[in-house]
Amino acid sequence: MKKFFQIVAVCFSGCLILAGCNNGSNSSTVENSGPQRDTVIIKLMAFTPDTLTVNKGDTVVWINQDIVAHDVSHFPDRAWHSDTLNPQNVFVKVIDDSSSYFCSIHPTMRATVLLKK
Amino acid sequence: MKRMRKSMNWLAVTVALILFVPAAKAQSQNPLSDPEIASVAVTANQIDVDYGQLALKKSHNADIRKFAETMISDHKNIIQQAAALAQRLHVTPKTNAMTQSLLNGETTTMKTLKAKSGTAFDKAYAQNEAAYHEAVVGAVKTKLIPETQNAELKGLLQSVVPLLEHHTMMAKELASKF
Repeated sequence: MKKFFQIVAVCFSGCLILAGCNNGSNSSTVENSGPQRDTVIIKLMAFTPDTLTVNKGDTVVWINQDIVAHDVSHFPDRAWHSDTLNPQNVFVKVIDDSSSYFCSIHPTMRATVLLKK
Repeated sequence: MKRMRKSMNWLAVTVALILFVPAAKAQSQNPLSDPEIASVAVTANQIDVDYGQLALKKSHNADIRKFAETMISDHKNIIQQAAALAQRLHVTPKTNAMTQSLLNGETTTMKTLKAKSGTAFDKAYAQNEAAYHEAVVGAVKTKLIPETQNAELKGLLQSVVPLLEHHTMMAKELASKF
């Protein structure tokens, strides 16, 4: 009887481990195949990270955590740009191409988004 | 033309001296208290708001106007944050010798700027902005931050330094166009 319970316990934990592995690999497959979301923090007059590498179709979220207003504008022609981002405002963009960008309010602030090759 | 360039250079040097000499003199005297530092911080920001408002009145140059608008908006923002912090900390800004020397410098510079018009004004405004921000960055780094006792006030001053440094770079870039 004792042996029977031991076998049941081993089978049960084995099933749990297998389920866990399976679940883990499934979720990692989903994460790798779908669009990702990356974040750029605007703080102390800088975009961090200043170079971000993403896959085509990924989403980038810029969060203004600085003490003054900024914007996010394609460099140099503002072909795409956010509205003015007051402190704590957020700008979201799906990335289709590599581009340099800057803050048109403070043009000395510059950064880059690159597409993975 | 050469003569004009020379007089512009003298203006920048004069502004720097007006700001630096009293600051250096004050540095050798007693350290400032937090209420005095709050007063200097608010005054220094308000002076640049005043210069920006003068530029909006006098200039038709798009680059000058855009820069002036940014200065007004950024420095008003800092004043609001400094005032809110002072209120929360129950610190009443206290006028002192450094505040007074900043105000004296403003009076002199305003007089010089008001006497100019057109491109001469634009150039003088941009050069003054570069010299003024450079002087203020120096004073914040070497006097105000080291002498501030309250951690939150010190933190606010530290967070303002990168902004002032970018303003300096922007002003120098602007001045180079004239």
